[in-house]
Amino acid sequence: MRTTLRRVAVGLSLAALTATAAACGSATANDDAAGGGTEAPAASALDGKGEVSIDFWHAMSGKNGEALQQLTDQFNAKNKGRVKVNLQFKNTYDDTLSAYKAALNSGQAPDVVQVYDIGTRFMIDSKSTVPVQSFVDVDKTDTSDIQPNIAGYYSVDGKLYSMPFNTSMPLLYINKTAFTKAGLDPANPPKTLDEITEAARKLTVKDAGGRVTQYGFGAALYGWFLEQWTAAGNQEYCDQGNGRDGRGTTVKLATDDHVKLLTWWKKMVDEGLAPKLDSNTTTADNAFTAGTVAMTLESTGSVGGFLTSTQGKFEIATGNYPKINATDAGGPIIGGASLWVVGKGKDDAHKRAAWEFVKFLSDKDVQATWHTSTGYFPISKGALETEVDKQWVAQRPQFQTAITQLQNTPLSKATQGCLLGAMPQARKAAEQAMQAAVLSGTDPRTALQQQEQAMAGPIKEYNQSVAG
Amino acid sequence: MNRPGPVPTVLTYLWLVIAAVVLLFPVLLTVVGGFLPSNALLHQPPQLFAGHWTLENYRAAWRQPVVPLAPAFMNSLFVGVSIMLAHLVTSCLAAYALVFLRSPLRRPVFWLFLATIMVPYESIVVPNALFIRSLGINDNRLSLILPFLASGFGVFMLRQAFRQFPAELREAAVIDGCGHLRFLLTILLPATRPALIGIAVWSFLQGWNMYFWPLIISSSNNSLNTLQTAVFALKDNEGGSPAVLLAGITITLLPTLLLVVFGQRWLVRGFTAGAVK
Amino acid sequence: MTAPTLTATGVPAGDVHRPPGGIRRTARPARAREAALGLLFTLPGLAGLGVFVIFPLFQAVYLSTRGNDILGNPTRSVGLRHFHELLTPAFGTVLWQTLVFTVLVVVPGVLLPLSLAAPMTQRLPGMRIFRTAFALPFAYSVSAASVVWLIMLNPGVSPVNWVLGLVGLPAPNWTTEPGWAMATVVGVTVWMVSGFNLLVLAAGLAGVDEEVLEAARIDGATGPRQFVSIVLPLISPSIFFAVVTTTLTALQALGQVQIMTDGGPNGHTRTLVYSIFDNAFHNNNSNFGLASAQGLVLLVVGVLIAVVQFGVLERRVHYR
Repeated sequence: MRTTLRRVAVGLSLAALTATAAACGSATANDDAAGGGTEAPAASALDGKGEVSIDFWHAMSGKNGEALQQLTDQFNAKNKGRVKVNLQFKNTYDDTLSAYKAALNSGQAPDVVQVYDIGTRFMIDSKSTVPVQSFVDVDKTDTSDIQPNIAGYYSVDGKLYSMPFNTSMPLLYINKTAFTKAGLDPANPPKTLDEITEAARKLTVKDAGGRVTQYGFGAALYGWFLEQWTAAGNQEYCDQGNGRDGRGTTVKLATDDHVKLLTWWKKMVDEGLAPKLDSNTTTADNAFTAGTVAMTLESTGSVGGFLTSTQGKFEIATGNYPKINATDAGGPIIGGASLWVVGKGKDDAHKRAAWEFVKFLSDKDVQATWHTSTGYFPISKGALETEVDKQWVAQRPQFQTAITQLQNTPLSKATQGCLLGAMPQARKAAEQAMQAAVLSGTDPRTALQQQEQAMAGPIKEYNQSVAG
Repeated sequence: MNRPGPVPTVLTYLWLVIAAVVLLFPVLLTVVGGFLPSNALLHQPPQLFAGHWTLENYRAAWRQPVVPLAPAFMNSLFVGVSIMLAHLVTSCLAAYALVFLRSPLRRPVFWLFLATIMVPYESIVVPNALFIRSLGINDNRLSLILPFLASGFGVFMLRQAFRQFPAELREAAVIDGCGHLRFLLTILLPATRPALIGIAVWSFLQGWNMYFWPLIISSSNNSLNTLQTAVFALKDNEGGSPAVLLAGITITLLPTLLLVVFGQRWLVRGFTAGAVK
Repeated sequence: MTAPTLTATGVPAGDVHRPPGGIRRTARPARAREAALGLLFTLPGLAGLGVFVIFPLFQAVYLSTRGNDILGNPTRSVGLRHFHELLTPAFGTVLWQTLVFTVLVVVPGVLLPLSLAAPMTQRLPGMRIFRTAFALPFAYSVSAASVVWLIMLNPGVSPVNWVLGLVGLPAPNWTTEPGWAMATVVGVTVWMVSGFNLLVLAAGLAGVDEEVLEAARIDGATGPRQFVSIVLPLISPSIFFAVVTTTLTALQALGQVQIMTDGGPNGHTRTLVYSIFDNAFHNNNSNFGLASAQGLVLLVVGVLIAVVQFGVLERRVHYR
């Protein structure tokens, strides 16, 4: 009633000013429209419906956005008279998710939405989508072509909730030219923290005035990297089997491995082997492409951009994501984003149309195009076998590292990644701890413990909010 | 003021020139940087005056599909102009009532207006955001301006201005059979034009420069980006090429740069109306 | 650009003296009509402010006692829990940093333009150009200024670092060292407000009478002494105005923190308004309850400043 009153008042005050008031006064939130509906409709749902128009919200910008547009055009041409997909760019992943939340409240949700990996728990809990598994079951689709490690992230209890789409994993990028100059073997990049330190000592260059002109190592204090390090050590990042056996209650930040990592990182900075960088990956990327740091961490998605912006300056190579301890037996998590079919407030025709589109995007040839035009890792095993893909990889040996790295990563709860409703905040908290330890000299264990404790609130808050 | 001797004169110029170099370098970088080939900026020092000039960055900034600047420009214009008009209308009417129309409620209503000036917008941004979301107008430009259509400050300022209007003239007008609206429109407003322009400039800039609110609104609908949020989004997307970023920023700055260069007296009057005389 | 968004009000003083122009004796129906008309005229303004300023104040109080569901809609009561969260050292730090930020912005943000505007009052050629030039930062919106300065200080390309290198100084970690990050955010804000304050102070100085200065010179006061003892008091309204608007600008600053440091490193540039933004809208946090509680703290600060402002205006500031 409270809002109704206010709404009336708005209508009145607007009427006094402008005739457009009607446009907003009449709009009403439809909170409980048409029920959730997690049932997947069969292909016949599209029969006799004419051309079904669906909205797809995504966060693909620049070159990636253009590639997505092309694929969508392809789909629309193929399904003329049946399904038409309207692309809507929603800026960042964060923005896309917050737009989706707002849309659920106002009943203006899209039919397909691209959500980043760490939004997975929220999407499941929102009960607003049709699990991809339901469609797979209805259609008896063969999903064996999907890379199991990639599907792993988006599966809970063996049920695939969303269709992975653009995926990437982290790599160690090295300045090949600088490596050779320093007498190091670029074909054999460092694999552990200790090896990085060793190489960094040789790579760090100072000018006559004692100022460092090239740091051996430098990477953003990005929370995603910490999660990757944890998985590389085959450790779980949150409790309840990485949030896959039940709803997680703690993020395991203050672990011995993390302490070791941050202590190492701080030492690198203190020794002048690494610059102080913040959590913004763009800054670190610039430092790498400008030649200021000779080794950095970035996702596979950056191969293309790095190759372009270092062209003519120096050569780059890649190595596996480094491990904290030489004995670590895990491997990185395949992150990125996936596609969700929205069910809340949608009729069968729209749900089905959405699935047709999602299925199309997971096709091996489409994924091959997607991979070669964006650099994202293909979710389809078959895509890597296509001619166009093979050629692309041959021209970019830097990417081969990623393929091998994926093949060597065992699928476990640790490498599936942590599912947590408060994961966006948890990533931020990890960054706070990393910044505290590396930039402001707080004792690493204290910094990690503080953030781990600080996360208890938001996690509890989230788990309570799921209940309403 | 007094004419100083030669030594102080030199010192004065020295100080001003040094200050100008330091304070204006970012401006120079913004404007010039956008015309340079992108690698010129990646040098240390940036090669601002070597090499050839290009319009490529401006083209790239204007055409990049990620954060289209043209709609953002229109949104900013819409926000600035509608807030300005709304402030003028609501403030003129209210100030007129507060000055010329006797009513037992006049005093309390005035204090109510005054009290709203004390409320920092950020303290009520959460309820307003939730409210606007509940209206279901996510896709509508109205969501950018709805909370800002009335201004206690505008009412207060115009009340000050209207009070300066000679009572005798007003009486004469009324005796001539001049109605309230006609008096307001044909006599009072023209007579208080400087104050009105001041309020207009102030309101326009307030809308044009808003950041927090459009950031929230555009975060769930990027077609509602204003220039200010577009610059932020551009930074995330064009972070790798400072030249394009600077070109984009220059485009967004053009209107206000022109205002500062050519409309200074209106600026000062707008912001300080009544405060500094 | 620094649009003073709230109490950048003028002066209530002098407000009381002039009787409103009214007509003396009016018949009763006419008077009722006038009252009704008055109400009608104030209605649009009152409605706008009522719905979007006054009512939200109450709603903020309500929201501050609520938890929310997964979509961010307020639901269950959590009592005073959000206010308890304000009593933690973490929030104390936020308040302290807000104060530090504000003071560090206001003092140089007013003194710097004053030191530029003062010499410009001399009748020397080129002063107009200088005034326009110094006002240019005013054209920058907060996001434009933040992004340009980020490029200025980006370790990979920074011209500032290059200049420092020329004189043999090491380049600080502008946005990643706790102390420097605060200094950077402060510096950018000072740069931004200096343009506007310069215009305000120059306008104030332009209004000082020639004869007053002439008289001062006969008395033997010269140069800086003349400026401090005679001119400053005369432009005290301008200075006070600059101080108040700058204080509010600093208190309400969001863009420079959010864009340049995102509150970091490790929360060292978190201010009250950033904290509200962060809790409510950043990272999909959607903690609207806590953000509302912090908003109420900001409200108290805003009201306090207004009270001080009116108090000072009533007493201290010298008017012509």
